[in-house]
Amino acid sequence: MGGSTAGLAKLDFALVGHQESWRAAADVLAVLRGPEHTPLPDDEIRDILPWIPPRAVCHVEITSVGGTKARGLYVDSFIPPDRLQDAYMRDNIARVRGAAACAIKAEAKIVSLGGFSSILIEGNFDQLPERHGTAFTTGNTLTVAFIVRGLRQMCALQSRNLGKSTLLIVGATGDIGSGCARCLAHNVKRVQLYARNLERLRRLAAELEADGVQVEMATDLRQFSAPADIVICAASLPSPSLLLASIAPDAIICDAGYPKNLSPGAEMPRATVFFGGLGQVAGGMTFSPDLHGILNRHPFPDVVHGCLLEGMALALEHRYEPFSQGRGFITQERVAEIETIAARHGIRLAPLYNADGPLDRVPAEWLSHPPATLKIGSRPTRFPVAAKIASATAGAQTDSALETRRVPQVSPLRPGILLGKASRVHPKGQEKASRRSDTLRNLSSDLRQNSVALRLWSGTDR
Amino acid sequence: MEPAIDLKCSLPTEFTTLSPTALIWQDVLAQAMTGELMAAMNYTSLSEICDDPAEVADALEHAEGEKGHAAAFAAEGRRIGVVVPNNVNAKHWKRLREAFLRRITERDFIGCLMVQEIMLESFAVASYARVGKVAKGSLGKTFAAIAAEEEEHIGHAMEILQAERALDTQRFDDKLYQLHLEVMTILAEMLAKDCRTGHCEVCHGSCVKPALPDVTLSAAELRGASLHQYLQTLDKLGLPGEVTLTWVAQLPV
Repeated sequence: MGGSTAGLAKLDFALVGHQESWRAAADVLAVLRGPEHTPLPDDEIRDILPWIPPRAVCHVEITSVGGTKARGLYVDSFIPPDRLQDAYMRDNIARVRGAAACAIKAEAKIVSLGGFSSILIEGNFDQLPERHGTAFTTGNTLTVAFIVRGLRQMCALQSRNLGKSTLLIVGATGDIGSGCARCLAHNVKRVQLYARNLERLRRLAAELEADGVQVEMATDLRQFSAPADIVICAASLPSPSLLLASIAPDAIICDAGYPKNLSPGAEMPRATVFFGGLGQVAGGMTFSPDLHGILNRHPFPDVVHGCLLEGMALALEHRYEPFSQGRGFITQERVAEIETIAARHGIRLAPLYNADGPLDRVPAEWLSHPPATLKIGSRPTRFPVAAKIASATAGAQTDSALETRRVPQVSPLRPGILLGKASRVHPKGQEKASRRSDTLRNLSSDLRQNSVALRLWSGTDR
Repeated sequence: MEPAIDLKCSLPTEFTTLSPTALIWQDVLAQAMTGELMAAMNYTSLSEICDDPAEVADALEHAEGEKGHAAAFAAEGRRIGVVVPNNVNAKHWKRLREAFLRRITERDFIGCLMVQEIMLESFAVASYARVGKVAKGSLGKTFAAIAAEEEEHIGHAMEILQAERALDTQRFDDKLYQLHLEVMTILAEMLAKDCRTGHCEVCHGSCVKPALPDVTLSAAELRGASLHQYLQTLDKLGLPGEVTLTWVAQLPV
């Protein structure tokens, strides 16, 4: 039959998002189509997807470390991956509104707006349909929390002194960029704020300066007086090469833009890039239909964008409230609050990684149940962080929260390597591991696609 | 091929030269007219299984309305200097008619509405609306006006279907799914970007689909718009989006 259609109880949460790449969209449709049907050709997917009205795609269940469960729905706005530019703004807002209406109709108690959806709506909450008791959150506060925590962790791994660093924030006046600025400004030597809107830049700079922070601001990256050694890209850059003139060769770069399109490459061989704003659910998640690892395409299990996790954390906490709303209201206190709520349910910073694979240490809980995609080995030496981990942590070391292991000699994007322990690790190991290794293999391809697509996009500040 | 119903759409004598797109519109009109004639036949058949005299009258009125649409398309053909053929026995249309007649045999009034109003009319409304946007002058206005009228039909049927679904949701949805498999599979083949299964037996020459860009249409657009309309109709009925998405994702391309 075509699936059960009756008797659905009220939902705790809904997540609104869309696919970041055509590859991701193809994978979702392939699962829905089922193994008995041949996958849709790419050209058919590009023809059909833009016509799909916003709708629920699958049910999601999240489990707290305390055993509590929350049930939700993933609603896709079906924004075509190549239509993120300003020219499609009106249509995209209409799609997000449509997706929001689906969540409201499903009687979700709280809705998290993922990535680009929250960018579109964060300054336009009045454009959402009438809510009938459904709370909406952009999820940006938890995203900021994970960006900040990730950056601190990466600095610690590289023995960088944050207090002596110059921090550049790209997309500084957006909700996430300004939130990061407020959280980190007092911990660094100098803050450089970059955005397109000069008036908003002035306001944020004045706010930080009033707090005694040393601030520079610019609407052109080349205008800063000194290269930054720590960078948060809260907005996707039209081209990663734009950063080159403004950063130190060994800069740490947190790619928190949406979609993520930075990767360590020939242009920045000594820089360390990691994807920021991601959290991991220790209690696990289930998807029905089983889109696990497809909707959340990361090289680690149960990793999700912070913006979506915020709604889930609030649902587990039974706090159905618009925790993050509007632009410019994220404070250190709010970040600490949401981080505490999330941690109470086992939602913590995800292992750090970039397009080439894992970068940091392995959470302690994985030592007893390692994920299929993580093979213990040594890091490729071209990554400074990896080399450091490999030399400093040969063998497992434990600290309060994390346990360190060496990670693969060869690129973890190669499925053959990643499949090494799959069948031993998971009961349904082979299938899941295969899917995850596909995810990894596709990640690079997605990034390349995004890189191309985003050159056309002007980089809306988050 | 012989038209199933002769609407006396002979070519006016004053036309000596055709516009470059006239033959494309001829095929578009032929598909539309065939669909309308089949709808007229379906409503006539439906009237035969209705018990309530008001429902009988309603079905016959619908049948007349669809014949009027067919006549309007024939007239548009004459305006641009072409004869608009029709063929309700063409392979895809015939299968659609047969699917409808199976519901008639079973005296399944609700099943008939599901096929005609949810599936076939979704296709008609979306396609006509797209053509209405790009076709110039009277032709465009006719398509747009008929699209609006067909949408009204759907609105009326939706009330009946929503009430029926409320009585037994799972039974209703199961039935709808079975009809989806039967009917939407045929429609999906019709709407494929190219006719891989051979000539459709309605187009006057070779398949019109590759020529549609000449009138700023495309087969992909017509299919996309039809699926969009179908999904929205199912949404209005109250079916869960994640279920109907799977239904549509599994259709042939």
